[in-house]
Amino acid sequence: MSMTLDTSLQGAAERALGAMRAQGFDAAMASACRKQLDELNAEQNAPSLLRSTRSQRLSLVGLIDGRKAATEVSGWDDDEALRAAVAALWNDALAAPADEANAVSAGQHARIEQGPPEGDLGLLAAKVAELLAFRAEATPGFVLKEGLASHSVTHTHTLTSAGSDLASRVGAYSLVAMGSAREGTASSSFNYAGGDTHALGALPAHEHFGIGAFMRDTLRQVKTRPLAANFVGDVVLTPAATASLLQWLQAQIGDERLIAGASLFRERVGEPVASPLVTLRSRFDAPGVAAVSADGFVAAPVTVLQDGVLRTLTPSLYASRRAGVRHVPTAAAGWSLEAGATPLAEVIAAVPRGALVDRLSMGQPAPNGDFSALLKNSFAIDGGQVGDALGGVMMAGNMARMLHDVLAVSHERIDTGALVLPWLRIGGLHFS
Amino acid sequence: MSTHYAESRQHELRKTRIVMIDGHVASNTSTVDAGLSARVREGGYWGFAALPSSASAADAHELALRNARAMARFGPRDDSLALPGGAYRGTHEFAGAPALGARENLERLSALQAHCRARYPALKSLRLVAQEEQHRKQIANSLGADTLASIRRAMLHVFMTVEDAAGAPVELMDSFTCKGGFGDLDLSLAALSPALDSLHEHLQAKRDAVPVRGGAHTVVMAPRLAGMLAHEAMGHPCEADIVLSGAVTGDLVGKRVASDLITMVDYAHSAGGGEAMMPVFADDEGTPARDAVLIERGVLREFMSSRETAARLGIAATGSARAYGPGDEPLVRMRNTGIVPGTSRYEDMIAGVDDGYLLVATSNGQADSTTEFMFGINMAYEIKNGKRGRAVRQTTLSGSAIEVLKSVDAVSDDDVWSSAGYCGKKQTMVVSMGGPAIRARAHLGGE
Repeated sequence: MSMTLDTSLQGAAERALGAMRAQGFDAAMASACRKQLDELNAEQNAPSLLRSTRSQRLSLVGLIDGRKAATEVSGWDDDEALRAAVAALWNDALAAPADEANAVSAGQHARIEQGPPEGDLGLLAAKVAELLAFRAEATPGFVLKEGLASHSVTHTHTLTSAGSDLASRVGAYSLVAMGSAREGTASSSFNYAGGDTHALGALPAHEHFGIGAFMRDTLRQVKTRPLAANFVGDVVLTPAATASLLQWLQAQIGDERLIAGASLFRERVGEPVASPLVTLRSRFDAPGVAAVSADGFVAAPVTVLQDGVLRTLTPSLYASRRAGVRHVPTAAAGWSLEAGATPLAEVIAAVPRGALVDRLSMGQPAPNGDFSALLKNSFAIDGGQVGDALGGVMMAGNMARMLHDVLAVSHERIDTGALVLPWLRIGGLHFS
Repeated sequence: MSTHYAESRQHELRKTRIVMIDGHVASNTSTVDAGLSARVREGGYWGFAALPSSASAADAHELALRNARAMARFGPRDDSLALPGGAYRGTHEFAGAPALGARENLERLSALQAHCRARYPALKSLRLVAQEEQHRKQIANSLGADTLASIRRAMLHVFMTVEDAAGAPVELMDSFTCKGGFGDLDLSLAALSPALDSLHEHLQAKRDAVPVRGGAHTVVMAPRLAGMLAHEAMGHPCEADIVLSGAVTGDLVGKRVASDLITMVDYAHSAGGGEAMMPVFADDEGTPARDAVLIERGVLREFMSSRETAARLGIAATGSARAYGPGDEPLVRMRNTGIVPGTSRYEDMIAGVDDGYLLVATSNGQADSTTEFMFGINMAYEIKNGKRGRAVRQTTLSGSAIEVLKSVDAVSDDDVWSSAGYCGKKQTMVVSMGGPAIRARAHLGGE
């Protein structure tokens, strides 16, 4: 398997690390990365563009007397340019205040190879053609604003002065569809679905990532109605909307809030912060993901919520040392909310009054969790029945409260690669 | 098959980002992303290729051409579309103040940190995020365009956090932006103190915020919200690719979509008697850029376009095709979008509201093909009997852009611009937005 790792990157990282040692850095990290992308696009219901990009990046982190700086440049072949980048980094680091929390990864080792290393242009074209054919036959009122099928492969080699040595080759296919439905002069809201997979050919295009279902639902969203009156009720969040809740939770247990002492969950590890129905685990081997952290650590599997109990925070090395909490490396993506025992139909049938919500269109929720969102691509639920599409309806609540108020988790989930998420029924939301 | 069009772009994107949290430097990073790209239109299809700077332009062109030809597998396509727009030749680089080194930048942030800590001792946390960004592009195409242009912006975001009576964090942010680099950004206390005092005052009020009454209300949007209204409400629905994808605006040219107090323009390179914050003299297709008057005294006039979308709609190209990074293809994007100032006084607009809300600060927003838009409101107050009342909790403003803009009954004589954020649409993009205070009816999320 190691045959497919790009060994030239190790040489680039070694040369950069050598240049940083020669400059005088106490500690250093060098990461060489090469990426290749082939992306076939459709626009306004027709194939339009084939885009290929080849890029390379050298990322350097240097520490001197506890002072730290980082840089990225687009290449490494030119020795003169490398020396200039290292010299500029040296000046930037010397200018920074000393901070005992600064350190580089030590003793980490990984060799990761996953996903298809080579893209198949014929497969990309076939999937775009399937998407267009599905639109024309099953959802002719849907306008595919953008559709794309792509393959990318990213090779990375990271070395640190403290002996870490991490190499990865991650290949993945992606498929995305985005658009709206049109009927006469009326239009639905835009919506989209997509994700990453190792096996693009395993399913018809519309069966990946809920694409076909969202295109069909969009047709029913051209005609919408507002609410007759404000009420407090239940919401059923689709996996796409559940992602918004997850994003807020992850910010609360991540670097900036922990360093600033402004996290609601900083002191809550070991306590219930969500409904016992909620379990959140990593899946750092997801398509398109390498199980290493941005600061050069192997990202081991981690459970964040177990039956609603917060098991860990997720700070980087710097944030853990600065905030005085346990270091838990995480990859750039890859999370899974455990499936529940209730079929989706029963989750919806149990809602006396509320909404089935696919998109929470909103600004950033407040750090204390307060939010209000415009409901997009959503339907009313009355007496357990999904009714008309909603227009001009807003929902207000608190994200922290919503985690506690999860009443049901669906058995069905959608796997988009980076996320595997179920539908959630949550009570006590204000609709207006 | 014939090659109808080819373009090449050398593109360098430089960024510096410093994050200081309570005096600790959490990020001190400078990056350079450089490369060259080519785009070719042949047989009615596009091919694009982006390669590292060390590659040759010929290699990029060859790969782009191969990609366009590979699209022929989808069958013949109408190849007769003539791409409109002229061919710009010229150089536009903003010089600005001399660049500052890391030491000066960090010293300035440390001084600001110390000032805030001394002046606002109850702060739980203070986060400073400083960023400068330079886009430098050399573009040539088969129509004879040859341009070299740079766009530079610098910004500082100041996040203040306190605790409410229950110990929960309450946060508020303000942004300071300028054209140019850090050297052009005035971070002197004389310049920032009033705004920092105001930010802190709002934050203290937000500690005791009450819920918004959800529903339709009369709202006064402070001048710094007008740009967001312009960008989200009618900016995106007036992008020609969105129009081609079924946006309702496609049927509304020449029709009333706003109060006659509203004139909305996407400025290309000059506004208010000077160069705009994001000056685009030629876009990334080498098209000479011109202003797009989206709404003129309440009537929808035109759309922003690339060469291809202009051809498909049968309109003149506005020079709005822009690519964010070296590996990105040009898309229809806004440049400097704003509402033209009116004649009302901001204070009078508030005084004229018996029961409504004053919206002071916003976060991100979203647009839609339906023209139903939203943006987050981080700071707002009740208005009772013409006076500012209690602060209200985080809310969201939404509505049909057409209905909201038709309800506008006052536009202030202010003209406040910012280039703090990114616009997202497949790629991110640097844009600026601005205008006056607006009074209208709109929906606020709440209880």
